[in-house]
Amino acid sequence: MSNEFEQFQDAFFEEAAEHLAIVEEGLLQLEQRPEDLDLLNKIFRSAHSIKGASGMFGFDAIAQFTHKMETLLDLLRSGKKIVTPGIADLLLKSTDCLKTLMEGVKLNAPVDENVVQRLSTELAAVSAGEGERASVTPPTSASEPSASEGAYDIRWTPPEWLFRRGLDPLQIFKELIRIGRLSRVNVDTSRLPDLNGVNPETCYLSWTMRLETAASLKEVESVFEFVREDSELSIEAVTVPNPAPEGSGTNVQREIKTATSEASEDGPKSIGEILVESGAVSKEALERALSQQKRVGEILIEQKAATPQQIEQALQTQRQMEAAAQAKKADTTSIRVDTAKIDKLINLVGELVITQSMLSDLGTRFEMGQVHVLLERIAQLERNTREIQERVMSIRMVPIGTAFSRFPRLVRDLAGKLGKKINLVLSGEETELDKTVIEAIGDPLTHLVRNAADHGLETPEERLDNNKPEAGVIKLHAFHEGGNICITVEDDGRGLNRDKILAKAVKQGLVSDGAALSDDQVYPLIMRPGFSTADKVSDLSGRGVGMDVVKRNIEALGGTVSIKTVYGKGTTFTLKLPLTLAIIEGMTIRVGRETYIVPMLSILESIQPKPEAVKTVVGKGELIDVRGIYLPVIRLYNVFNLKPEHVDPAEAILLILETEGERVAVMVDEILGQQQVVIKSMEQNFRKVQGIAGATILGDGTVGFILDVRGLLEIARQGTPMAA
Amino acid sequence: MAAVTTLESSVKQPHQQSGGHSGAADGSQLLTFKLGDELYGVDILRVQEIKGYTTVTRIPNTPASIKGVINLRGTIVPIVELRTVFGMPAIDVTSFTVIIVVVVRDKIMGLVVDSVSDVLTIDRQDIQPPPAFGSRVDVSCLSGIAKSGDKLVALLDIDRLLAEGPASDGR
Repeated sequence: MSNEFEQFQDAFFEEAAEHLAIVEEGLLQLEQRPEDLDLLNKIFRSAHSIKGASGMFGFDAIAQFTHKMETLLDLLRSGKKIVTPGIADLLLKSTDCLKTLMEGVKLNAPVDENVVQRLSTELAAVSAGEGERASVTPPTSASEPSASEGAYDIRWTPPEWLFRRGLDPLQIFKELIRIGRLSRVNVDTSRLPDLNGVNPETCYLSWTMRLETAASLKEVESVFEFVREDSELSIEAVTVPNPAPEGSGTNVQREIKTATSEASEDGPKSIGEILVESGAVSKEALERALSQQKRVGEILIEQKAATPQQIEQALQTQRQMEAAAQAKKADTTSIRVDTAKIDKLINLVGELVITQSMLSDLGTRFEMGQVHVLLERIAQLERNTREIQERVMSIRMVPIGTAFSRFPRLVRDLAGKLGKKINLVLSGEETELDKTVIEAIGDPLTHLVRNAADHGLETPEERLDNNKPEAGVIKLHAFHEGGNICITVEDDGRGLNRDKILAKAVKQGLVSDGAALSDDQVYPLIMRPGFSTADKVSDLSGRGVGMDVVKRNIEALGGTVSIKTVYGKGTTFTLKLPLTLAIIEGMTIRVGRETYIVPMLSILESIQPKPEAVKTVVGKGELIDVRGIYLPVIRLYNVFNLKPEHVDPAEAILLILETEGERVAVMVDEILGQQQVVIKSMEQNFRKVQGIAGATILGDGTVGFILDVRGLLEIARQGTPMAA
Repeated sequence: MAAVTTLESSVKQPHQQSGGHSGAADGSQLLTFKLGDELYGVDILRVQEIKGYTTVTRIPNTPASIKGVINLRGTIVPIVELRTVFGMPAIDVTSFTVIIVVVVRDKIMGLVVDSVSDVLTIDRQDIQPPPAFGSRVDVSCLSGIAKSGDKLVALLDIDRLLAEGPASDGR
């Protein structure tokens, strides 16, 4: 039972995430086209779906919060309010908050109630017509409601004729909830007569309640406007002790408070507790001492070491990091598949079964005369198999738009943070690639887009000075090329400064001073660990981590990163990735009696060297002259301890391979051909073998190994490999 | 999967207890096979299947006891040459040579043996702890010695043999 429920819950989270994406995307578009009613309706519908579903599952916090968003959206939709940047911003923030709420429910993690509360109040305030203030000065209004929040004790005895006039007390309560938070609602049923004495059209009930709200007494009174007459109504303002102090220190306080309270629950006791328990200190004294204790953030603010904004921002980053870490954990591995795809697959499997039974039928009473029938059936089987393979692969294929969808928001926020104007252009979103690849390229792409926004694009003033339009452009484009997918991240910013990179590289000792390097050798230097040419470190980028991570991640997927740049005009990063991780294009080669597969991606060319082309240095290190550049030669039979057919390079074949920017010539006996191979894991039943990336099943049913060029290089450098 | 884990927990015990009766506890069944003239036994519940010898692809730069890998219906399965593990001289493949496919800690592996002989049920009391030869003969991968009629069966502790030996990550 509970399992079933969980299953539905998963579906809910998945669906809600989709709705949230729609809301977010819609809101971003809404900023451009505030009048688009269709768009508003779309957003509203998605928000409504989230509300409905979360209510159904009993996630009240989500439902209530979404309800507040919905109220505002409804006002926008009906034209009672217009979309201002402030409102859009508030709604976007609320979307983020909603995301956090959902993560919270999903992982059973605590949610930052303060943010939820603050946004709820803000939403309510904007909906209630105080929008201007909230939207014009969000930083102050953010902390204000909690500070100025008052409370009213309300006692209300409605007139007996309430129902006869078609009025519903529930409406009143709903109205009250709109402007604040209701608590301690009590109904007085003492006037209720016996059942046979009840007049259903008479109201016998009265209520007492407390309303916490930022609204004035007048506004609260106005709620009761229609029932004022003959009602016994008393509204008294009360002062609630406000636990949160004012100002931006609020959050700082809360952060550490939760931390300490958690610690005292699970961890060892705090020193204060121990002192109190042992009687050394009175509880009051301890509390007094604690109240004087300050948080790091507050102290920093006091010492003027940091501005409240900075602290607030740092806290926000911290929260985001936490959320991101949690989100990673919650990554779902499910995939949504079009039913049509599955139906087609079932049909194909049906055909396969028929072919199989025809074959086995043929096999039981086979005569040599039927060879042509056999061949025909086998051809049919081949067709079936190929088609099924294609279909199954296509199930894993997802449009890359899912990976792109996060960027409009990211770029919008970056633009705001950096004070730059950035237009994001996405194209080729429909390009399909393997889901695992999509999941894996998200982070590298984010890095690239961030870099483009932070380093690539100039400030508006700088751009205008250089006769460029004020707004910079970042283009993300995806397309198929051969068996690969290419993703380009292009900006029209300042471009890479060749001289600066070179100077830095010389300084770091990466290249020798005065070395003549081609562009293709210079630009990839920025992808070295710890290499950054940024003059100052910002919180976005410039620490020299990032590009190397991008490169590593992409290479782990069997892809490559290349850079094109024109100084002053812009930079283009091109990621070239295999369509899928499960199948690669490979070249089958032979050494002695063994067959290996070399990934096509790493092969640059293959040559049959002239006898004099291979030279040695210090008697052993072999080098080959490939059009003027000497490359080290690795004899595969040496590395793998095999018996080769050819020992003379002139008789053998040299494959020029590239890995992480390094080129080597690998000597093999023969090239057998090119084919697609399905990668099988070696680690599943064995362990990683150096120099081997994985295994595959060859045409004859035996196992063949896929070479790992990097690993080969490493073995070759270690010297003699372990003897077999 | 569940079956494998329960098995494991039941087989782990012999390490802690003083030698004795490994997988063959309480009269369980053993698959016996031959290496030369010697008879060995392995808990039948650990055996996934018995397979005729097929071409094995050698893995470069691995110890000689790892003969290579085979394609077992699409999965890559490493093959261990038991003769080499025990330091016996290698012999040519005959028509009796088989691969016994076993499961060790969720991993599938094949053992090349000279021939399979029988499935025996052996009572617990017929099992003695492995003899102590000192450093002269390494019997650490045996969990016991059993008697079946006039035959002596050496019970293999395949967890120790494979998981701590050739298949482990450290070479």
